[in-house]
Amino acid sequence: MQTEISRRRFLQGTAALTVVSVSSAAALLIKKEKKHAIAEYGLEKTKWSEHLEEIPTLCEMCVNKCAAIARVEEGVVTKLNPNPLFPKSKNMLCARGNAGIQALYDPDRLKYPLIRVGKRGEGRFKRVTWDEAYEHIKEKMVKILDEEKDNRSTIGFCAGEGMAEHTYASFMKEKIGSSNFVNHSSICLATTIAGYTLTLGGYGQADLENAEYVIMAGANRAEAIVTPDTMDIFKRTRAGGAKLVVIDPRFTNTAAHADTWLPIEVGTDLAFVLALSYVVITEERYNKRFTQENMSDFEAYKKHIIDHHYTPEWAEKITGIKAAEIYKIARDFMAHAPRSIYYQGRRTAWSQQDYQLRRAQAIFTAMGGGIDQKGGIIFGKKLPLGEHAINSPSYDNAKERIEKNKAAVIGASGSWLAWRNTVIDGTAPYPVRAFFAYKQNPMLSVPNTKKTKEMLQKMDLVVVIDTMPSDTVMMADVILPESLYLEREDPVKTFGGAEPSIALRKKVVEAKYDTKPVIEIMRGLGEKLSKPLFEISKKYDEALLEEIAERGEKVVYKEEGYDLAEGYRHSQETINHHQVASVYGEEAWKILREKGVFYPDMDRYFKQKSVNEYQYYPEHKKYYSVIEGDLINEPYHDTCVDTEEIAVLKKDFRTATKKIACALYNLEKKKGVDAMPTWREELYTPTPKGKFKFITGRHAQFTQSGTANNALLLDLLPQNHLWINKHIAEEKGIGLGDSVEVTSSIGTIEITAYPTEKIAENVVFFIHGFGAESSELTLAHHRGANDNLIIEDQYEKTFGSAAMHETIVEIRRV
Amino acid sequence: MARYGMALDYKNCINCKACESACKEQNGILLGADYHRIWVGVREIEGIFPNLSIGSSSFEPSQCQQCDNAPCQEVCPTNATYYDGNGVVRVNPDQCILCTYCMQACPYDARYVDDRTTTVDKCNFCSDTRLIQGETTTACQATCPTKVRIFGDLDDPDSEISKVLRDREYRKLKEHLGTRPKLFYLT
Repeated sequence: MQTEISRRRFLQGTAALTVVSVSSAAALLIKKEKKHAIAEYGLEKTKWSEHLEEIPTLCEMCVNKCAAIARVEEGVVTKLNPNPLFPKSKNMLCARGNAGIQALYDPDRLKYPLIRVGKRGEGRFKRVTWDEAYEHIKEKMVKILDEEKDNRSTIGFCAGEGMAEHTYASFMKEKIGSSNFVNHSSICLATTIAGYTLTLGGYGQADLENAEYVIMAGANRAEAIVTPDTMDIFKRTRAGGAKLVVIDPRFTNTAAHADTWLPIEVGTDLAFVLALSYVVITEERYNKRFTQENMSDFEAYKKHIIDHHYTPEWAEKITGIKAAEIYKIARDFMAHAPRSIYYQGRRTAWSQQDYQLRRAQAIFTAMGGGIDQKGGIIFGKKLPLGEHAINSPSYDNAKERIEKNKAAVIGASGSWLAWRNTVIDGTAPYPVRAFFAYKQNPMLSVPNTKKTKEMLQKMDLVVVIDTMPSDTVMMADVILPESLYLEREDPVKTFGGAEPSIALRKKVVEAKYDTKPVIEIMRGLGEKLSKPLFEISKKYDEALLEEIAERGEKVVYKEEGYDLAEGYRHSQETINHHQVASVYGEEAWKILREKGVFYPDMDRYFKQKSVNEYQYYPEHKKYYSVIEGDLINEPYHDTCVDTEEIAVLKKDFRTATKKIACALYNLEKKKGVDAMPTWREELYTPTPKGKFKFITGRHAQFTQSGTANNALLLDLLPQNHLWINKHIAEEKGIGLGDSVEVTSSIGTIEITAYPTEKIAENVVFFIHGFGAESSELTLAHHRGANDNLIIEDQYEKTFGSAAMHETIVEIRRV
Repeated sequence: MARYGMALDYKNCINCKACESACKEQNGILLGADYHRIWVGVREIEGIFPNLSIGSSSFEPSQCQQCDNAPCQEVCPTNATYYDGNGVVRVNPDQCILCTYCMQACPYDARYVDDRTTTVDKCNFCSDTRLIQGETTTACQATCPTKVRIFGDLDDPDSEISKVLRDREYRKLKEHLGTRPKLFYLT
C-alpha cells in the first residue's frame, strides 16, 4: 500500500522501512469539507493559572468509568487528566477520555426540553419547560394506561449502560411497573456473561497482570479498550511475560502484539475450543486434581468430547486453523496453566452458537485449574455499599414481557431483537404503546435500523433522555436533555476485583444548559405522574381496591410506594453520602469526595512505584483467591451488567453440586438447551463463494454512536471504511478510497473501501457507530456508514442475544 | 535546572492515540492537521494474508527529539528557536518569522506551521502548559494506558529515566547526523 503522503517521513534513514499510517490513509479518504468542519472546532492551549481547580470525577466516554481529574479554570474544563488513585484505570485516560471536553462543549448538545411539532421523525420540535414536557408525557400516559386497563407493561423502555442506568430502570420497572425493559446486554455481552456465570458461578475478571498465556479470540483489547485489561496485558506482551494468542479474521492492533495470530472462519470459534479440549482430554493434560475436586460431570464431558470426535483435524476443516496449531496451542496453554486464560470476551453478540462457545471456553480454562487463581480468571472482592431501597408498588394488571417465549431464557433485561420484532410482527399478547429510551440509540445500535424505526413509529408516545440529538432522539415526541457526566453527580459505585475500590463521579462544573441529571428527571416525572396513574390503578386494580378498603387510600398510597417520586427526592449527593458513610464512616466519605476514590487502608497501601505506576494493594493483600468451600460466589467484577440479572441466572440454574458445571442437565430438560457445548452444523452459516461474511467491531478513538459527533475524536478517526482483502479488492477493481456498495438481505449501504492484507478473503468489516442520519449532528451527519442497516436481525435462541456476525453480504464498486 | 529527556518503551504502544489527544487538549493543537507535535507512526505489516509477519508491524510514537545539537535551532535566523534552561528546544512565537528553515533542517519532520500563532511550532515537553504549573509529567506520558513514556532529568542520576537508560538497551533516531537527540527508544 503506497498511500503515505505526509511530508514527515518518520524514522526515514534509521532503517529501510516504509511508514504507512492507517490514520493518514484514512485521512486521505475523508472528504475535504468534512475535515474542514472538524478544524473549525479548534482547541485552546491551557494557560498557567493561579486559580486552578482540580476536581476528581469518573469518565463516561465509554463504559469503563476511568478515574479522571478535571482541570477547571474559572468554571471551564480545560483538561482531563488521569486520576492515579483508581486501581481499575491505573493512571490512564484514553483518547476518548481526553475528548470529554469536546462532548461537554459540543454546540449540538440537547440544551432544553423539546416536544415534537412535525411528524414523528421529521425533526421539528419546539422548546418547552420541564413542566410542559412532563405534562405532555402525563396526558399521553394516562390515556394509554386507561385504554390498556392499567397494564403497565404497555410502556416499553430501554437503557444504555451507565452509572445512572439503575436510577432510570428502577423508576420504570419498579415505580411505573413495566416488565418490558431492554438494555444493551442482548446486543453486547449477554452470552459471555451467561456462559461464564452458569459454568463458573461468575463472569470474573481475567487476571492479565499475572497470566502467562492468554488466548484472545475476537476480543480486541488494543482497540476496544477495557480497563484494567488493556493496560495489564499490553505492558506484558512482546516478550514481557505474557504469551498472547490472537484468533481473529482480522489482523487487529491486538494481533500486532500477539505471539501467534490465527485468522479463523467467522462463526467457528466453538469448533476451535472443542478441538483444544479434545487434545487436552485425550492427552490427559488437564489439571487432574482440580478437575476432580472442583468440576462436576467432568467424566461425562470427557466422554462427550471424545465421542463427538472433536479432533483438531475435524476442526481444521471447519475453522481453517491448521490441526498442528490447535495441538500446539492446547499443549502450550496447559503447560502454562493455571496461569492460562481463554479470555472471556465482551461484546460477544456474534453467532448463533455463542453461548455454548463461552461455556466451552470457561470449561477449557477450568481444565487448567486457572479459576479463582492468580493469573487465571479471578472473582476478587467487592466492597459493599449501604442500601438505597425503593418501595415498589405491585400492579396486578401489569403483564409479563412480550418476548418471554422467543428464546430459552429471556432475563429481566430482555432480548432487544426479539422484543422489538415482537412489537412489530403482531405476535405480542398485548400492544406496547409507549417507549422510553435513556442513553441508548437503538436506531444505530440495534441490528436492522428499519425495524427499529418501524417499532418507534408504532408508538403513541416516545420519550428519549439523552445528551445529544441522536437518530433515536430525532424519533422522539418528548426529548428530556440529560446533563453531561461532567455536570452531575452520579450514584456512587463499587468496583470489585483483586484490588477493590469505591469511586465517585462528582459534578465538575455547573450545567451549561437547562438540563438535568436522571435522578431529577425521575423525581419530576414521579411528581407529575403519581396521582393520575394511581387513579388509573384504582379503576382497574382489584387487589389495590381491596387494600384500600382495608387500610384506607392515604395509607396504601404512601406505604405501598405509589408516590413515584419517593426514592428520588434526595439529592444524589445525600444518597451517596448515606451509602458510603453508613458503612465506612464520615472520614471515608470525605476522602472519596476529595480524592474521587476510596478503599479501606488506602492511605497505607497506595504508593507511587515509579513515575508512571502505583501500588494500590500490597501483593499479599490482593484478592486473587476468594472462594472457600464452593465455587458459587457473590463478588462480581463487571461494571456493565446488572448484578440482579446474574443473581436470577444463578438462582434458577446453578447446579446442585456447586462446582464448575461441565453439564447443565436441567437447562436441557426444561429448555432444550444442550447440556454440554456441542457443535451444531445447522446453526453455522457458511459463506457462499464470491460473497462475504460481515463483521463489525470497536475502535480506540470511537465509542459507538455516542462519540460520533466529537470533534477531537473525528480528527483522529474521521469515518469508518470497509476492510476488504486486498487481492479480492483487486479482482473486483476496488482501490483505496473507492466507493463500494455493501448489500445484505435487509439493506444496502455505501462506504469507502480500505483494501488490506489484514483481513480474510471471505470477510468484510467496518467499525460500528458511524452513519448517523440526524441532521442536528453537525459532524456526525452522513459521516461513514451505519452497520445496522445491513446486519440482519438474527438472534441466538438461548438468551435472545443478537447474532451480529451471521450476515452474508455482496460488494459492488459504485 | 535540569536536562530533560524522554525514554519510550515503544513496544508497549497500542496506537490508541491517547497521547495525541492529550497533547492536543493540553497544548491547543490545531484540529484537522496530522503530525502536529506528536504522532504515532505505523509500520504497515508485511506479507500476504494469512501469512503476515507480526514482527514487521509496529507502532512508533514520536515527536520532537529534543536534540542537544538541534539543526532547527542552528538555522534559525532570529533565534526564535532556542534552548531553555532545562535543555528543552523551545520556540518564541514573537520572534518567529515563518521562514521555515527549521522545517527544512529538522531531520525528524517534527516542526509544523501553526497558522493561528504564525509560528513554526513543535513539542516542548509541555514546558509552558504543565511544567510551569509544577507538573512533573508531560500530557502524553501521564495519559498513556500502557505507559510508554518516561520523562525526566537526564542529569539526575537518581531519576527514573537515568536508571532506565543505565539498565536497558535503547536506540536513538538518526544519531549519525550528530543531533544528539534526547529521546530514547527502549529496545
